[in-house]
Formats: sequence, C-alpha cells, structure tokens
Amino acid sequence: MTVDLTCEGLARAYGPVRALEGFSHAFARGRIHALMGKNGSGKSTLVKLLNGAVQPDAGRILLGDQPVAFRSPADAFAAGIVTVHQELSLVPDLSIAENIFLGRLPMTRRLGLGVVDWPSALRRARGLLDGMALDLDPAAAVGRLSVGQQQIVEIVKAMSFAPRVLLLDEPTSALASNDVDLLFRLLRDLKARGVTMIYISHRMSELFEIADTAVVLRDGALAGAVAVADTTTDAIVDMMFGETARAARSRHARLVRGEKVLEVRGLTRRPAFADVSFDLHEGEILGIAGLLGAGRTELMRAVFGADPPEAGTVRLFGEAVVPGPAAMKARGLGYTPENRKEDGLILDRSIHDNLCMASLGAIARRGIITAAAEAPFVARQIADLSIQVADPAAPVRALSGGNQQKVVIGNWLNTAPRVMFFDEPSRGVDVNAKQQLFRIIWDKAAEGLAVVFVSSELEELLEVCDRILVMREGRITAERDPSRTPLAALYAACMGQAA
Amino acid sequence: MSRLLRRYPMELILLAMFVGLALTAPGFFTTGNLMNVLRNVTMQGIIAFGMTMVIISGEIDLSVGSGVAFSGCLTAWVTGALTPSVGPAAAIAAGALLAMAILFGLGLLTGKLRQMFAMPSFITTLGLLAILSGAANLITGGFPITSFPGWFNFVGSGFLFGIPFPVYVFATVFCLVAFLTNYTTFGREIYAVGGNLEAARLSGIDVWRTKMLALGITGILTAIAGVIIAAQILSGSATAGRGWELDVIAAVIIGGTSLFGGKGRIRGTLVGVLFLGIIVNGMTLLNISEYWQLVVRGALIIGAVLLNHILDRRTA
Repeated sequence: MTVDLTCEGLARAYGPVRALEGFSHAFARGRIHALMGKNGSGKSTLVKLLNGAVQPDAGRILLGDQPVAFRSPADAFAAGIVTVHQELSLVPDLSIAENIFLGRLPMTRRLGLGVVDWPSALRRARGLLDGMALDLDPAAAVGRLSVGQQQIVEIVKAMSFAPRVLLLDEPTSALASNDVDLLFRLLRDLKARGVTMIYISHRMSELFEIADTAVVLRDGALAGAVAVADTTTDAIVDMMFGETARAARSRHARLVRGEKVLEVRGLTRRPAFADVSFDLHEGEILGIAGLLGAGRTELMRAVFGADPPEAGTVRLFGEAVVPGPAAMKARGLGYTPENRKEDGLILDRSIHDNLCMASLGAIARRGIITAAAEAPFVARQIADLSIQVADPAAPVRALSGGNQQKVVIGNWLNTAPRVMFFDEPSRGVDVNAKQQLFRIIWDKAAEGLAVVFVSSELEELLEVCDRILVMREGRITAERDPSRTPLAALYAACMGQAA
Repeated sequence: MSRLLRRYPMELILLAMFVGLALTAPGFFTTGNLMNVLRNVTMQGIIAFGMTMVIISGEIDLSVGSGVAFSGCLTAWVTGALTPSVGPAAAIAAGALLAMAILFGLGLLTGKLRQMFAMPSFITTLGLLAILSGAANLITGGFPITSFPGWFNFVGSGFLFGIPFPVYVFATVFCLVAFLTNYTTFGREIYAVGGNLEAARLSGIDVWRTKMLALGITGILTAIAGVIIAAQILSGSATAGRGWELDVIAAVIIGGTSLFGGKGRIRGTLVGVLFLGIIVNGMTLLNISEYWQLVVRGALIIGAVLLNHILDRRTA
C-alpha cells in the first residue's frame, strides 16, 4: 500500500469557530475513502483545504512525499486534485460538451484565426460519455437534463481532467438508485486506474457498498479510520457521535386510518406523469417511492399547484380545488420543496422572517404585522423542532443543512396545515437531524396531520411511512405495505421488476 | 464606535458631511438654505420611497422622470379644460387624480407584462419613459400650459409654520411607506418576493400582485411629485423631471438597497435623498462648477455602493 495523500495536523478556524483542529491521516493510493462525520465535524473544511479553496492555519499536505501548498483552487487542480461538488456547477444553457470542456474547448485555426473546433469537442465529449456507457447527446443543453443526469455530467467533467485525487462531496445526494449504480460503476473504474478518492456521503449503506476505508471526523479531528470490511454501521455511528451514542429508534405510533382528506384523480402533466390517482387520509404518512425522473416531485408540485396540472381533479376535504400555492395554503395544504436553498428559503433573510413567510396572512391583523406578533410563532417552531439557533435575527444562510430544513418545515407548520407534502426532507442532512425530522413527522401525523413523504432513499420510506406508492415513468405502478416489504422488493418495484 | 460605524455608515457620513459643510460652505447652515435643501429633495424623495419598494421587490421603474412631466402636463391640461365648468380647485383635483390613476394603472400593467410574458420591468418602463415623454409633449404641444390659478403655487412653494409645504407631503409619504414596508403583510411580502421569488411563490404568496402593487404605488407617488413640481413652476411643462429616474435610483442605492432585490430600508433611502440634496447644495455654495458636481456625484454613488458592499461582507 502506497500513501498518496497525507494530512499532517491540519487546522483551520473561521473567526472564533475552529472548524478543523489538527487533522492527520494518510490516504492510501487507489482506494475509496469515505469521509464521515456529522454536520459541523469539519468535513467540508477538510475538502476545502485539500482543493485549495481555503488555506490551513497550521499543518501541511503532502502529495506522495512532496509537501504542497495550495494558494488557490487552480493550484490544487494543477496538482491533480479535482472536486465534484454537492451543488451543481454546470452552466444550464450550454451543451454537455461545452460544460465538460468549459474554459478549455479544443481550438483550431481557420483563416488565421483561432476558433473553437466544435466537431472535435463533440467527438471527444461523445467519447467520454461512451466510455462510461452513458446514452446522452453531447450537444444537448445541460438545463434540459434531470438533476441526476446533470450530476453524472459533473462527474464526467471531473474525470476528463484525469485526476490523481478525486474529491466527491455528496455526489449521490440528488441521485436515485439506478443513477447511483451507474456512478458506482464509474468510481470502481477510476479506482482500477489508481485514482485516490475521498467520498463524502450521508448514506451509510452506500459507504459499505463502495468505500474501502471509513475515515471519521469528530469535532475537527480524526475520530478513527477503519477498513469498511471490518466494521459495522453502529461502530461508525459511535465514532461519529462519540459518547452521545445512537438515539434509540422511536417506533411510530400508527393510527387507525382516519378520514379521507385528499383525493387525486387522473392527474396529468406531460411528460412528467399521467393519469395519477391516489387518496390520503388523516394521520397517514404516505410514501412515494421511485427512481429519479419517475415523476414524484412533479406530481407533488402539480397537486400543490406550483406547476398547474393539465388534466385531472384534486379534492381537498371533499371540495374540488383548482391547485395553486395560495389556494392550497388557504385550504390547509403545505409543501416543502426538494431544493430548500433554491425554492424553500430566502437565504439572506433572518430565521425569524423565513419562519413567518407562509403565515404572514394568518399572523397579521387587518394586514398589519409586527415583529412582536410574529415572535411567538417563531419561538414555537424553534422550540418544537429544536432548531439550533443562537439568534433568530441571524440570516438563515448561516444554519446547517438540517436546521435549514427545519426552518422550511417550521415555515409551513406555522400555517397550521392539515396536509403536508415533504419532498426529500432529509437530503444533505446528517444522521442525527434526520432522525429528528422523522420524529417531527411522526408526532405531527399522530396529531392528525396527513403527510405525503417523498424520498430517494428507500430505507427512509420503509422506516417512516404507513403506506408506500411506487411511481415509475410517470405512473403509479404499485402500492406496498412497509411493514411487510423488504428493501430489495421495494427496490425491484421501483425498477419495474416483479417483486 | 466601530459598531456604530458598521450599523449606520451612511448616516454617519451624512452627519460628517453636514458638519463639514456647515463649517466651510458660506451660508450653508442657515434656516433659509436648509429649508431650500429640504424643498429641493422632496419631489425626488417622494418617488424614491416608492422606488425603494420596487427595487426591493426585484423590479425597477425607469419611467418616473417622464411620469413627472406627464402628470404635471395632464393636470395642467385638465385644469384648463375643466376650470370654466367646475372651478379651478375641482379641476386641479380631477387632473391630479386622473394622473395618479393612469400612472397607477401603468405600474400594474408593467407588473402584469412581467407576469404574463416574462417581460423585464427594465424594458417596459424604458418604453414608458419614451411614451410618457412623448405624451407630455403631445398634451402641451411643446409649450408649457399655464392654466393654474396663482394660489396653486402654494402647493409647490408655499410655507406652513415656516416649513415648505412639499416637505409635509414628503414626511407623510415617508411615514406611510415606512409603515407599509415594516408593519404590513404587503411590506414583508416585498422582501420575500425580491429575496427569492420561487420560495415566496411556493409559500403561497401572490408574488405578482405584490410586484404590481409596488410598481403601482410608485406610479401614484410619481404623479404626486409631478403635481407638486407643476405647482412650483405654475405650469405643466414637458421638460419637468427630465433625468430624474437616475437621481431617484441613485438615492435608493446610496441608501443601501440592493439592486438584486430583497434588501433595503426606507430609512436608508431617506438618508440617500438627503445625502444627494446636501452634496449638490454644498458644492453650489462652495462655487464648484456644475461639471465637477456631476463627477463628484457619480463618484459618490459608486463609493457608497462599494462601502455598503464591503460592510455587508464583513458582517456576513
């Protein structure tokens, strides 16, 4: 085993916050290292130090046996350290080929002028895509692709640099199972070529599938590094959380099915989904499973009215409703969108303002509203959802992913909803916060809230829901009882195979 | 001290400038001159308060300069036409209300075009800038309309308890808009809509109504400013308010409102308005040429925005 990348006593503080305090570890060459740790443990900071986005206050990085000092991401890049970010960094209006070769398009000379060699760019992009058995048109605009396909393009782009070290920051957070399989195939291929990979993910099961070693961070330092083959989920969780240990998993108190609150019939919005019908009952948690692109999010958005359906009916509490965010809110239906930063929050505004955004009309008296009138609503959600916040006047941007998600949920709970749609509420949220979110959903359902829960993680659906609908290619193809459905069977149903 | 500086940078600079001019500029620190400064900033200030809401909501209104000319000319024309039948006071009121209604409607239309055809308000109001200027000239036929009775001059130039009458209008508008932005659902929605349109929409806020109202209210305020200036010059002139859109937007920006939307304060705009007014007045008293005044004013706009940016980043 040769060591490819060594960290010696890396430390970095942001003002008074010591994000990383003396991290040391030697990463073996040609291995996939899972970097684990709860939010705030220093993972992101470590990645930023390795890719030159920030510089260490102390300690050093060695590539092979050469010490390196990255003053900028360009330096790290030149040394062969390439990062695939959690947030997509593609230009939506440019083609796949242009995105892959952004800033380094192949050139040729015509009439004495340097011009872009488009045939060559397309051919090389096609070659890269084909090499990974991807059926994508290199001339297609990236904005037209699904989030999963965009993530794949991002990785193809990273691989086109022939990196020595590849940093993957939650590459699967937006991917459904089949895309994850594809990604893993790509990663194994890279591993065979001797690329060292550092892989961050909150999905425990994936780490056992793809990683060789688990490198666990806690409070800005190394908590332990173990071979994945020799460890268990519990052991890793213990390392991540230290003495606090695992929270005992709460059993969901299942209610007897209440009255029907939502009835969707023949809902259609092509090409995303067609002829979808389902019912939702008081106190029920209905899961919607499916691969990426199956139409889950689009269905939720159409029922809520974020995007109007083309055909079909929605009845809420027995009353036919023309979907629309304002109309649905007025009738007690709320929706937390899948991309909380883009669609759910005003990042620069305060936690206070974000918690009252949907409920302004309800809090106001004759259109007049004061901070004092809002304060109890803000305080209630902070207490009920145990949002970790020093000052509600701070911008919501400063919160961790889990706390941001709680703010999105709190914003809606302040409207006193009777039906809630949660779209990927646990994405990019650490294990602890995830359990808290589930508990919130269980508690609210026990009080009678009807819930639709959409997630790409099938384990989550099985854990959280009372009933699961499977969507495939824009239609509901199956219904499953989570208490009697093994994970593999649910996965098979999503894939369209007989269970 | 540094915290004070960080929280109220423009207020402190305004104060420093005020003290500096009081010490150096002859005749600056006199009641007469200060009243003059106040009266000069009121018209643009009234519009700037509306513009602040428009910019916070993520839109812009470039048509306000022409709107001033248009409403003054329309009011003068209606006054001329109706005075024989209903008397001057009712005629002026009818003209002013008509101007307000039209500019309110155009504001709503700008918002509606944005909603229906994704037409940027920058483009619509750029078009309106030309259309309203043309309309003002069509109404007047190129010559100022002098249909107002002499007493109407009080609205633009008169004094009440030693303070210019327009200043009362200015103060009232400031209080109303400050209340609107800070203590009403509409005000909160302006910030939400400008901060993240999609998040606001998915929170069940009627985002287009919010933008339309902000634009419409600015139309009304523009008409009010147009009527006041018509009273001041006692005629409807198609050249009144020419180029004001830039001064108004500059005042809003100097006051710390972000052109990207979602951020800003009416109090900041008040500071921005006073800032511009005092600078122009001070430089004139110091005998600085008009050309240099332009250069200094431009540099100050850039400097103020830069300062706000730097302070913003520091606190973030």
